[in-house]
Amino acid sequence: MDLLAAYQPLLDLFLISAGFALSQYVVLRAGVFSIATAGLVSIGSYLAAILMTTYGVSIWLAAPAATLVGLAFGLLLSIPLARLRGPYQAIATLAFVQIMLALALYAEPLTGGAVGINNIPKQVSTLGLLFCVALTLYVLGSINRTRPGRIFDALRQDEGVAGSLGISIAFHHTLAFALSGAIAGLFGALQAGYIYSIVPHQYGFALVAGTLAAVILGGRRSIWGPVVGAAIMTVLPELARPLADNRLLLIGLLLVVMIVFLPQGVVDGLLQLRRRRRGQLEATSKATPTTTGGMRA
Amino acid sequence: MTLEITHVSRSFGGVRAVQDVSLRVRPGQIIGLIGPNGAGKSSMVNLITGVLRLDTGSICVDGRDVSADTIVGVSRAGVSRTFQNVRLLRDSTVLENVALGLTREDRSSTLRCLLGLPSARRELRSIDEQAMRILDQVGMTAYAHHIASALAYGHQRRVEIARAIAVEPKYILLDEPVAGMNDVEAAELGELLKALAAKGIGILLIEHNMAFVHSLCSHIYVLNTGNMLAEGTPAAISAHPAVIAAYLGA
Repeated sequence: MDLLAAYQPLLDLFLISAGFALSQYVVLRAGVFSIATAGLVSIGSYLAAILMTTYGVSIWLAAPAATLVGLAFGLLLSIPLARLRGPYQAIATLAFVQIMLALALYAEPLTGGAVGINNIPKQVSTLGLLFCVALTLYVLGSINRTRPGRIFDALRQDEGVAGSLGISIAFHHTLAFALSGAIAGLFGALQAGYIYSIVPHQYGFALVAGTLAAVILGGRRSIWGPVVGAAIMTVLPELARPLADNRLLLIGLLLVVMIVFLPQGVVDGLLQLRRRRRGQLEATSKATPTTTGGMRA
Repeated sequence: MTLEITHVSRSFGGVRAVQDVSLRVRPGQIIGLIGPNGAGKSSMVNLITGVLRLDTGSICVDGRDVSADTIVGVSRAGVSRTFQNVRLLRDSTVLENVALGLTREDRSSTLRCLLGLPSARRELRSIDEQAMRILDQVGMTAYAHHIASALAYGHQRRVEIARAIAVEPKYILLDEPVAGMNDVEAAELGELLKALAAKGIGILLIEHNMAFVHSLCSHIYVLNTGNMLAEGTPAAISAHPAVIAAYLGA
């Protein structure tokens, strides 16, 4: 129990990071190169913080409100981004993150400016975080096991092919944005309800890079990819702590090595290996010497 | 009931890729579209399927003008295709590739999918069962769970054709379908295409393998440098002096 208590803050940090990574994962999975998660998280955090400090609203209401507002912003973002692809989407969403950051800094009466919002009541427990991560995983897992998951995979790999099969690219990108926004809003609110105080610089480039790195490290296909990625991104700085000043350098090097040798991410790389083996085993057991059957009219 | 392409033109800068081309595919017909490299055959497929926009002309599917439609709109109108360079979802399995052709969009069921209701999972299982039946038609069931990119080129062609069939189209445009196949496989594909035509599907066959085209097509169009050079029965095309000069080289 002492061990759990000692590592509880790390566990909580991991769970919040996993939520952010899952928000980032949804859009990447659907082939949208959006990095808007940090901006959407800031919306959820500030909304929840304002509701909790100014209006005395409980996290039980603030978190669902932040989820809905995040979803709405995700939907709004999807409209201008529908015409953009690849790096252009990334640049546009990075601009969105910067706009949110600027708003947090300059809308001082509402957001507290550079000082941020303090004395937010801590109403989020480890259990609450676990529940929200589990709920998010359930929804995203359900998507993976049903039609939208297949379509997201197709859009990520070749949206031209998906379009040629009559699949609406715009609708599924919008769905991915809405889900990403909702998850970011939820975990933004949970973060606000956990860490007592929020300031604008928490939602800048560091969060963008950290969230993106978690998904790239873990993988973009399996729902466990971003979770494993978030775990690595949470634990790695702790493991590298004895290296003090060289810690960031070591983390950077490790990331490069992992991306070079496991470009699909840890989880997706392993799953792909398993799928290849399964396919080979089945072909070996079923195939005739010519390996394929003839075509039949 | 026709796929009707009328006076279609498209230029890229100063290059006229397709100029004033008209052709027609009726249900149950296998129509050939041949021509030397750079003749504009693949540009025609891209124009018909909405990948490229028309400069002039019109494309109608069973009387409905789809000239301004996107690739999604043209597909939903009933036109399916394969690509000159095989385009499978490389990281997905063979089964997932074919099942995608059967994965009809149904926005009303999105909430069921998000909630993971059993009916949504059953739907996907049913799609996979149908996909297996289509894979059986092209002799690829043994490879159902293989990653698509790990297949030999000829097998990838088969999977792409299976995916095009899965959409249950009224018309299929096949861009060099027998490239990478041996004679036996090409003959099997020929039988499959005949069977599809017998079911009422119109097929536009873009192909370099002249023996294959001649054995299947009732009518052949010949493109050369973006213009329609000739059209007619396989026998007439074989004897056409301009075609012999421009394409057959004999």
